[in-house]
Amino acid sequence: MMKILKYILLSGLLLWATAVSAAGTEEADGEPFNPKEVIFEHLGDAYSWHVFHWNIPLPVIVRDEAGGWHAFSSARLQHGGEYEGFRIAEEGAYAHKVVGTGADGKEYRPWDFSITKNVLALILCGLVMFWLLFPLVRWYKRKPTEAPRRVKGMMEALVEFLYKEVIVAILGAHAKRYAPYLLTVFFFILVMNLMGMIVIFPGGANLTGNLAITMVLALCTFVVVNVSGRKHYWKDIFWPDVPVWLKCPVPMMPLIEFFGVLTKPLSLMIRLFANMLGGHIIVLVLISLIFIMSAFGAAATGGATVVSVIFAVFMNTLHVLVAFIQAYVFFMLSTIFISLAVPESAGHKIEKQ
Amino acid sequence: MELFKPEFGLVFWMLVVFLIILGILAKYAWPVIIRSIEQRAELIDNGVVYARKAKEDFEGAKAKIEEMMAEAHQKQLEALQETERMKRGLIENARKEAAAEAQKVLDAAQLSIEQAKREAELQIRRQVSELSLEIAGRVLRRNLSADAAQTELVNKMLDELENK
Repeated sequence: MMKILKYILLSGLLLWATAVSAAGTEEADGEPFNPKEVIFEHLGDAYSWHVFHWNIPLPVIVRDEAGGWHAFSSARLQHGGEYEGFRIAEEGAYAHKVVGTGADGKEYRPWDFSITKNVLALILCGLVMFWLLFPLVRWYKRKPTEAPRRVKGMMEALVEFLYKEVIVAILGAHAKRYAPYLLTVFFFILVMNLMGMIVIFPGGANLTGNLAITMVLALCTFVVVNVSGRKHYWKDIFWPDVPVWLKCPVPMMPLIEFFGVLTKPLSLMIRLFANMLGGHIIVLVLISLIFIMSAFGAAATGGATVVSVIFAVFMNTLHVLVAFIQAYVFFMLSTIFISLAVPESAGHKIEKQ
Repeated sequence: MELFKPEFGLVFWMLVVFLIILGILAKYAWPVIIRSIEQRAELIDNGVVYARKAKEDFEGAKAKIEEMMAEAHQKQLEALQETERMKRGLIENARKEAAAEAQKVLDAAQLSIEQAKREAELQIRRQVSELSLEIAGRVLRRNLSADAAQTELVNKMLDELENK
């Protein structure tokens, strides 16, 4: 009990000290703290990656109005710099994005294929996935009958659980065909979620809390589901088993079913996006609170620090859980949507054998 | 509200990165992992079945061995009893034979005793006849010849005496 109390006191003191020093630097800058800007900067994309006080420039690749391609380092656009007619907009509809100045002198948004912070983070997440999975593959090739240990064992347990308890249980005979897609989706989302929670370099990019990312994932599930859809799937949509008056003169049910087809991936997209974004925002707001309170003196800052950090730690712990749950939910719902589309009877027949 | 506007560039790169990862993993990772997991599960299942069968076999063998042991024990007992019986028979035979032998010896001894007795009787008789003849001779002062006729006479007289 005394030990725990000592730890709590010690950590409280440390937090207070950091808060005071942080408050000091904030005041020294002389700029008022703008939480909204800071939070959105952390959640959004960027053309460079902040690591402590370094700013790692990333390549900017754009296609201008005339169809010409431009590729250069984002270091040239820093601090309001302009290069080959491109600059980063400070405000307006394209704030924080690369914009060009057209022939008519007006600002326009070029086709932007830049390797931004999020794109680099995506590639890093891919590499992390390879790092997690290929040692396991190599292990199986070398020792096919032995159980792997450590990280490999954890990955195996996870894959086995997902494959046997979810994919095979739901898809039956079709499991083998869809397992690669579903497992890739799960692990990619999980890695992105967890990497997003690490605050420094390899992580820190808010990927799954970005609509573009979840949209692509949902789109992939949508394509897989509808490409696997067979006769009964389309019949259920356009000629469902309901009284004829519900579908004949006015196609009420088919219309609802058709919207169902679209809302399924839409719900996947929004669910993942909102959950991850929400988690990030809560933590960012809690931390911003410290800087907001710094305006009211050292005592208020210290108190806010302790409270904020305790809450932030709690929320982050919860967020780790959410990271798993959301990856699992996306994965499981994709599996269920596919199982509704594939010919069920054949699957069950084979499963029963 | 830039958070709610999907950026085209990011969509493009996400699609590219995701499809590349999917392609690589679907070709080189997932099939190997799933196949290995299933194979090992099968191996373990087979191992369990094999172990169970081996245990059953072992139990069967144990029961058989016990049965055989019991049987052997039974046989051993029977053999012991048989030898006991045989031993007893042999001893009996031996005893009988020994008794017969002893009887024979006894009979022979009796015979020889009889013979000796008879011989002794004859001897005594002869001596008695000689003595009586001598006595008669002394009485008669006459040396009666010891011819056969006289001896026979004496013998006859002795028989008569004996028969009285």
